[in-house]
Amino acid sequence: MLGYILRRILSTIPVMAMVGLFVFSLLFVAPGDPAALIAGDQASPADIERIRESLGLNRPFLVQFGEWAWRTLHADLGTSIFTSLPVTQMIGQRVEPTLSLMALTLVFAIVVSVPMGVVAAWKVGTWVDRSIMTFAVFGFSVPVFVIGYMLAYVFALRLDWFPVQGYTPITDGLGPWISNLVLPALSLGCVYIALIARITRASMLEVLAQDYVRTAKAKGLGQRSVLFLHALKNAAVPIVTVIGIGIALLIGGAVVTESVFAIPGLGRLTVDAILRRDYPVIQGVVLLFSFIYVLVNLLIDILYTFLDPRIRY
Amino acid sequence: MTLASDHRTPPPGLAIATPLPDILKKVKPRTGFVGFLRRYPTIAIGGFLLLVLIFVAVFAGYLGTVDPTAISPSRRNRVPSELYWFGTDMLGRDLYSRVLYGTRVSLTVGFCVAIFASIGGLAIGLIAGYVRWLDGLVMRAMDSLMSIPPILLAVALMAITRGSVGNVILAITVAEIPRVARLVRGVVLSLREQPYVDGAIAAGTRTPMIILRHILPNTLAPMTVQATYICGSAMIVEAILSFIGAGTPPNIPSWGNIMAEGRALWQVKPFIVFFPAAFLSVTVLAVNLLGDGLRDMLDPRASKGH
Repeated sequence: MLGYILRRILSTIPVMAMVGLFVFSLLFVAPGDPAALIAGDQASPADIERIRESLGLNRPFLVQFGEWAWRTLHADLGTSIFTSLPVTQMIGQRVEPTLSLMALTLVFAIVVSVPMGVVAAWKVGTWVDRSIMTFAVFGFSVPVFVIGYMLAYVFALRLDWFPVQGYTPITDGLGPWISNLVLPALSLGCVYIALIARITRASMLEVLAQDYVRTAKAKGLGQRSVLFLHALKNAAVPIVTVIGIGIALLIGGAVVTESVFAIPGLGRLTVDAILRRDYPVIQGVVLLFSFIYVLVNLLIDILYTFLDPRIRY
Repeated sequence: MTLASDHRTPPPGLAIATPLPDILKKVKPRTGFVGFLRRYPTIAIGGFLLLVLIFVAVFAGYLGTVDPTAISPSRRNRVPSELYWFGTDMLGRDLYSRVLYGTRVSLTVGFCVAIFASIGGLAIGLIAGYVRWLDGLVMRAMDSLMSIPPILLAVALMAITRGSVGNVILAITVAEIPRVARLVRGVVLSLREQPYVDGAIAAGTRTPMIILRHILPNTLAPMTVQATYICGSAMIVEAILSFIGAGTPPNIPSWGNIMAEGRALWQVKPFIVFFPAAFLSVTVLAVNLLGDGLRDMLDPRASKGH
């Protein structure tokens, strides 16, 4: 098992290297002069030259990539074209709100969606199951910012239960921190809940048809213990997988949710960087998020070996 | 006919029992188009909604709309009324017209991405699944591409190109291709071991012919379902890209753009955001319902689990 874990950890290295190559070479697959593209339409030739110089775009591709990779490995993501600050510093300032939002959403979504899926599978075919599945279809179809605006309109503007927008750091107290994040986490969580609930239901349905579940029922175990102890444990692998894959949805959704609720996180940083065509910042954020995504899925792969001891690689 | 009537004549010397009362309801086989729609209600609902939206997109110019880009400063921020059904935005443009014309952008992006991503993913998946020595390399590349969250990949692609509908389609397609490729490859890997493929190889069929005739047709069913879901998610991604200013250029009325423009005023004029949001949600819902129905229809075994 230790060998497997080690091999799995090592296998992320080529994946991250290739992600790096993709993110870096994006600038060069675009038609036209990358420096001119970044500078925008109103740039003077001097501006373009300055950007070319600062990004080192006048050297051969492989030299550039090598130097960029070397710097990136040393946690240096370059300098922002717009603010002239190091990208790592800009990301460092913005990372807390985004991580808070994503962590809260993750916890909340799992706590809500897994029982939803379990109940839907238990009551399969009834109105409970149907309404949960209907919710799941809606959760997939209504975009995150639409849910965000609806929730903000009802619960912040009309009912005044939560602040409309903004963010309070966790160091200013748990109460304000939570109350600012409730609505963003709810809107960001919807599609994620739909996804997990759906997979949980499917996986549970398969397990509930097994003989040992019937045995457990026959020997008089309570419904709850059959569902959550016997069945859910064995239905866990696909659920955990989809939780990992769904992190990508959370990351993408966070960018938008932060715009709707004016949270000064990485999403806002990305949006501002797009508007200013600040490519080093975009590169840095994409790389960081991909790294988080790969890391989470690595952890989940390792978790498999504990969830299902039969898994051997 | 004569056979049936012969059956009913009692043999001589035998009393026949009185026919049983007709308590069993006659099973009406669901045949024909209507029967098909009743059997797959999600296809009926999703398909109907989608047809209405396609109609709206095609005939946007004839549905009581005005020029969606016509600015009229004296009529800014009007609330919905008889004259302006959805109200007007901060530049005095008619929202009803803008939202209706926006249907065109969303449907175009959704359909194009679904088609292009399917073709691209199909080609890569077929090659990776069938050509063993390429499999490892190609799938590692696809895994890496999938490690970049799709919206961020599209954002990064849009940041280095000029905003246009074509580039939006291209960016989302690139982000979606790995998922299709992985699906197709999985199907191909299991198909390759089928006896009929062995049979075709033994009969001396050339590889391209095997792929074309024996492998490809079997990937089409799961692909169609996947393409439908891609269509829905592409519409959402397009709206998100436009909303954060990295998508369709602002001079083209798309739902994401209308919402982005309504953002500054949404606390006082929520309808500017509401109407495009409602249209977008209904459109994606229609596409997803259609996808669920197609999945039930094309893979009856899988549908039991979902």
